[in-house]
Amino acid sequence: MRSRRAAIWLRLTLIVTGLGVAAFIYAFPLYWLVATSLKGKAELYQSITLIPQHPTLASYGSVLFERGFWVLLKNSVIVCAATVVVTLAVGLLITYPITRLPVPPQLRVGVLNWALSLRFLPPVAVVIPYFAIVRTLQLYDQPIALIGIYSLFNLPFSIWMLKGFLAEIPLELEEAALVDGANRWTSFRRVLLPLATPGLMAAATIVFTFAWSEFLFALILTATPNAQTFPVGVQGLVTQFEIIWNDMAAAGVIAMSVPLVLMVVARKYLVAGLTFGVIREK
Amino acid sequence: MSRLAAELPAPTGAKPARAGRRRWSRQERLAYRILLPALGSVFVIVTIPFLLAIWQSITADDGTLIGFRNYTRALSNPLFYDALRATGIYAIIVLPAEIFLGLAFALLVHRTVKRPGLRATLYVLAVLPLVVPPVAVGVVARLIYAPGYGVLNYFLQSAGLAHSEVEWLGVPVLAMGSVASVDIWQWTPFVYLVLFAGLQTVPRESIEAAQVDGATWWTQFIYIELHYLRPLFLLILFFRMADVLRVFDHVFILTGGGPGTSTQLLSLYMYRIEFKFFDGGQAAALAVLVLVSISILYSLVTRALPLERA
Repeated sequence: MRSRRAAIWLRLTLIVTGLGVAAFIYAFPLYWLVATSLKGKAELYQSITLIPQHPTLASYGSVLFERGFWVLLKNSVIVCAATVVVTLAVGLLITYPITRLPVPPQLRVGVLNWALSLRFLPPVAVVIPYFAIVRTLQLYDQPIALIGIYSLFNLPFSIWMLKGFLAEIPLELEEAALVDGANRWTSFRRVLLPLATPGLMAAATIVFTFAWSEFLFALILTATPNAQTFPVGVQGLVTQFEIIWNDMAAAGVIAMSVPLVLMVVARKYLVAGLTFGVIREK
Repeated sequence: MSRLAAELPAPTGAKPARAGRRRWSRQERLAYRILLPALGSVFVIVTIPFLLAIWQSITADDGTLIGFRNYTRALSNPLFYDALRATGIYAIIVLPAEIFLGLAFALLVHRTVKRPGLRATLYVLAVLPLVVPPVAVGVVARLIYAPGYGVLNYFLQSAGLAHSEVEWLGVPVLAMGSVASVDIWQWTPFVYLVLFAGLQTVPRESIEAAQVDGATWWTQFIYIELHYLRPLFLLILFFRMADVLRVFDHVFILTGGGPGTSTQLLSLYMYRIEFKFFDGGQAAALAVLVLVSISILYSLVTRALPLERA
């Protein structure tokens, strides 16, 4: 009896310790990033302090204005927003016919599988020929080159997501509008689009987040603040100014907070959209 | 021209009995009229780079055909095999660790946490690392492992476990471990989310029946739950293996492929060939090789996968 109780206690202690360690490993890196970003220059050259002694936002000002990273932030926002619009528009053009119009099932499956296979293209293999194309078209260091390639790489995901949302909306609703004399375009715009909005917002949020995080293409296809995105700036800060930890951390916090804030703002759509489209799919 | 041809078969004076069929075919035409331009342009945009890569790989800079010379150069470069080995080691560390930890958390939460509110909170916490840009994760990793400011050495020294600074990024084995740890931190939550969702699909009746029969924690997992999770393991392996070939950002920031070539994964190696050695021909040959092997692998694996057959 006693040994059994001891065994239970032992197991409980092990689990609790394990969870404690896991929670620490999960949270500490994020804490350390934020803590470092709040340190002043002087504090960096003393021995390491786990808690900022004199918290200051100076490093954020330094990154955004003295180093001019707000331009990169602006580029990122423009590129990501345009990517979202293009990806969703093309995604709708492809998913609308295969979910709402009578196409042979083989075509439907073929399109979906083809989209899925695109997801597995390794970017680094694609960027080598793409780089040559972008140079020939004189789009090097232009945001439009990034918008194009981001849209392409996010398309598979958006096709699968939109297909899920559109398939959930009963065909009868549109048919009713058609019977009432609306044409296809009107019934799409007035009936289908409003119903698909939560799904579209969810897809938009996720595509924006993906595009926001992208680094390799941006590194290769841009050279100056004309088109450089924020992650490229962050990388430059790391490799060129190794020692300025607080600026580096501040840039990391900024890069990280945009998707997090977006997720919080759009959580209503994400929950509605994702349960609507994915979880209830089967 | 093609539009005219498509409209030709439509009978102008169809009988009422065929009206239904005619409307159906008009819808079909609409479908193709939307689908073809969209799919066609995407197809062209995807295919042109591939054809161009093949062209680049078999020609010299002045456009003369040089056969397979670039391929033999790419395949005889010892650095290529270093890159393959580094990628393999990375995968061998990262995949089992992520799957084991993700499974452990999924089982633990599934068995012990019943409150929906807490489950939702854990869901959000698990999504969080996934949306952090890998570049930012690389910055965090530098703040932890880098010499001078790295906080891991601070912890080790305060605890008396290390007397001098450990060069986390300076020794090949440790550098690989550091780079892999970043991947594990970011992607274990993904495995957790997938497997946790999978555990929710196990029918409650079979669990209850097993418990009546005296199944323990372990037998319940081995004989029932594992069965439902098996296809998901395949799915996770498939996606994560494809991801390992894409890994670039955090390694680039943390070690840049070093020390030596110890963390120079395939993607970093290809980047270096093209943009540091400016050897476009060899890089194109590598790109073609990778694209072809991925396509073969993809078509093999998808046959074994429980993908939705729409």
